[in-house]
Amino acid sequence: MRARAVALATLASVSIVGIGWQLGTQAIDASQSLTASSGGTAIAATVTATTDAAAQAAVTARAAADAAAAAQAAATAATAAAASAAQAAAESGTFTGAVVQTQFGNMQVSVTVANGAIIEVTPLQLTNRGGRSVDISNQAAPILRSEVLAAQSAKVQNISGATYTSEGYLRSLQSALDTAGF
Amino acid sequence: MSLDTRTTQIGTAPVNTPRVTSPHPAYKKRMRLADSLQILCVASVAIVVAIFLADGGAAKFGTAADAFTSLGIVAGLIGTDLLLVMLVLAARLPPIDRAFGHDQAMAVHQSLGKPALYLILGHAALLITGYALAENVNVVAETWNMFTTLPDMPLAFLGLGLMIGIVITSLVVVRRKFRYEAWHAVHLLAYLSVLVAIPHQLSVGGLLSEGAIARYYWLALYAMVASSIIVFRFLLPVTRSLRHRLVVDRVDAVAPGVVSITLTGRKLDKLRATSGQFFVWRFWADGLWWQAHPFSLSSAPSERGLRITVRGLGDASQQLPQLKRGTRVSFEGPYGLFTENARTSPRVVLIAAGIGVAPIRSLLETVSFAPGNATVLIRSHSLGDTYLVDELTDLCRVRGVELRIIAGKRPSGVSTWLPADAVRDGISLRTIVPELESSDIYICGPRPWTDAVVRDARSGGIPKKQIHYERFDG
Repeated sequence: MRARAVALATLASVSIVGIGWQLGTQAIDASQSLTASSGGTAIAATVTATTDAAAQAAVTARAAADAAAAAQAAATAATAAAASAAQAAAESGTFTGAVVQTQFGNMQVSVTVANGAIIEVTPLQLTNRGGRSVDISNQAAPILRSEVLAAQSAKVQNISGATYTSEGYLRSLQSALDTAGF
Repeated sequence: MSLDTRTTQIGTAPVNTPRVTSPHPAYKKRMRLADSLQILCVASVAIVVAIFLADGGAAKFGTAADAFTSLGIVAGLIGTDLLLVMLVLAARLPPIDRAFGHDQAMAVHQSLGKPALYLILGHAALLITGYALAENVNVVAETWNMFTTLPDMPLAFLGLGLMIGIVITSLVVVRRKFRYEAWHAVHLLAYLSVLVAIPHQLSVGGLLSEGAIARYYWLALYAMVASSIIVFRFLLPVTRSLRHRLVVDRVDAVAPGVVSITLTGRKLDKLRATSGQFFVWRFWADGLWWQAHPFSLSSAPSERGLRITVRGLGDASQQLPQLKRGTRVSFEGPYGLFTENARTSPRVVLIAAGIGVAPIRSLLETVSFAPGNATVLIRSHSLGDTYLVDELTDLCRVRGVELRIIAGKRPSGVSTWLPADAVRDGISLRTIVPELESSDIYICGPRPWTDAVVRDARSGGIPKKQIHYERFDG
C-alpha cells in the first residue's frame, strides 16, 4: 500500500469507528436513563416486605390458580393477605406492565394480584432479538417468576447470564405493581 | 558465462536516456484505482467494528462472561469480513485485475487465509467460553448446549470444520504434497463453508437481528460477493467462450515438448486482450477437457488469432502437441497485469528463462519505448536451448532492441539467477543494464529463478513499482 492509501484508509477507518462509537454511546446513555427513571419509580413505590408465611401462602395460591380454581385461589390468597395485614390497600386483578426496551428486544409482563398477594406473573413479550436471546429469555423467565412469587416483590436478584432479560422483566413488573398500588 | 549479444540495434546505441520526470500516466491512473480498492477493503473491517460499537458494544465488557462474548462477536465479524474479501479477491473482478494483477490479488488472498481462520476459530472459542461463564457450566456442556438448543448451530459448526480443512489442504498443497485438482475441489467447499455459516449469523446473534440496519448491510455484502462470483467466475467466461468460438487453428513444434498453438475465433478484438496477459484454457479433447491451464499469450493478440506457446510439463498437458485442428477451446480471461498497463518508466528491460519467454515475446511486439531504450535478456543453460529465439531476434531487429542471451549453469548453493562465472565476476543486473533506474523490468520464469532476479533488482535500488513479474512452477 502506498503511504497515501494508508493515510486515507486510516482516516476513513477512524471516522467510521468513531461514528459507531458515538451511536453506541447514545444507545448506552438512553438505556441508562431508562434504568435511572425506573429506579426512581421503584423507590417511590411502596413495596412491603413480606413474611415467610405470606410468601408460602402465595405459592400455595399460585398452585391452586394453576389448577383453575380461581375463586378458591383468591380465597386462599385472601387468607394469606389477612395474615400479613399490610397488603390490604392493594387492588386485586391483573395489571399489565410497561413495555421496556432492551438491547435484545421489548419486554413486557402482566401481574395478577389478589388481596394483596402476587399470585401470577405472565410474560407478554420476551426479549427475542436473536435465537440466543430467545434461549436466554426462555430459561430466565420461569426462574424470575418463581423468585418474584417467593419474594412477593420485583426486588429480586438478576439472573446471571440473563442481565438484560432480568432487568427488563423486573422493570416491567415493577410498573405493573405500581399500577396495582402494590 | 556465454554471452550472445546479437547485433539487433542497427545504429541505435543508447544515445539519450530519457529523463525520469513524472510517472507514467497509466501508472497514476492505476494507482488511484488500487488506493481506492485498498481503502474500501480496510474500511469494510472498520464498518463491522462500528456496527458492534453502535449497538452499545463498548459497554459490554463489564464481566468476564461479557468480555469473552463481546470479543467473540467482534472476532466473528472481522473474520467473516476477511472471508468475504478473500472471495472477492478470488472472483477475478476486472477492476482488481487492472489495479493489482491476478498474481498479486491471489497473493493477498493467500495471506488472508490464516488470519481469517484464526479469527473464526477465536470467535467460536470465545463465545463458547463467554456463554459457559454466564451459565456456570463447563465448555463441553456449553458446546453441546449450543449445538442442540440454539438455532442453526449445527450448520455453523459444519462451516467451521470445512474451513479448517480448507486451510490445512492449502498449506499442504503449497508444499506440493497434494494433487492440484484434489486441492481445488476441496477449495470449492469454501463457498459452502461461508454459505452454511450465514443462518446462525442472522438468527443467533442479536447484532444482526430482524429490523436492524446492520442486518441489511450484512445481507447486501453477501449479495454483492455472491453476484460478483457468479458473474465473473461463471457467467462471463461461459458467455465469452460461446461468443468467440475459439478453435485450434494450428500447432507448431518449437522444441521437443514445446509447441505454439494458434487459435482463431470470432470478434477476437472484442476480448480486449493485450500482450503479456494469460487466459485459463480448456481444450475440449479426449483426456484434456477436465483440466484447465493458465497459459500466457506468446504473440500480440489480434482479430485474426491468439497464440500461446506451452511446454507440456505434467499431467495431461503432455498431450497438447497432439491437439487436432478444429478442437473447441473454452477459456477464462484475459487476466494479468504483466502488460503495458503496469508501466511506470520510459525504458524497458524484459527478462525471461525457459518457457517464460512466451509473454516476453508478446510484450516485445507492442511495448512502448524510445528508440534504443529496450533490452531483452534471455537466460538458459546453453546457447542452444532457448525457445522462440529466432522470432525474438527478428522482432528485436525490427524494433531496435538489444537482445542478450545469457547461458551457463547456476552455481550450486548460491541463490542467483546468473551463471556461476558471472556471479564470480561480480556481474549483476545493474552491470548488465546500466540504465536500470529509468527502466520497467518485466521478469518471467520459474518461481525460484524469478525471485532471484527480483532480489537482484531490488538490491540494485529499483523500487517495487518498476518490477513486474509472472512466475510459474516447475
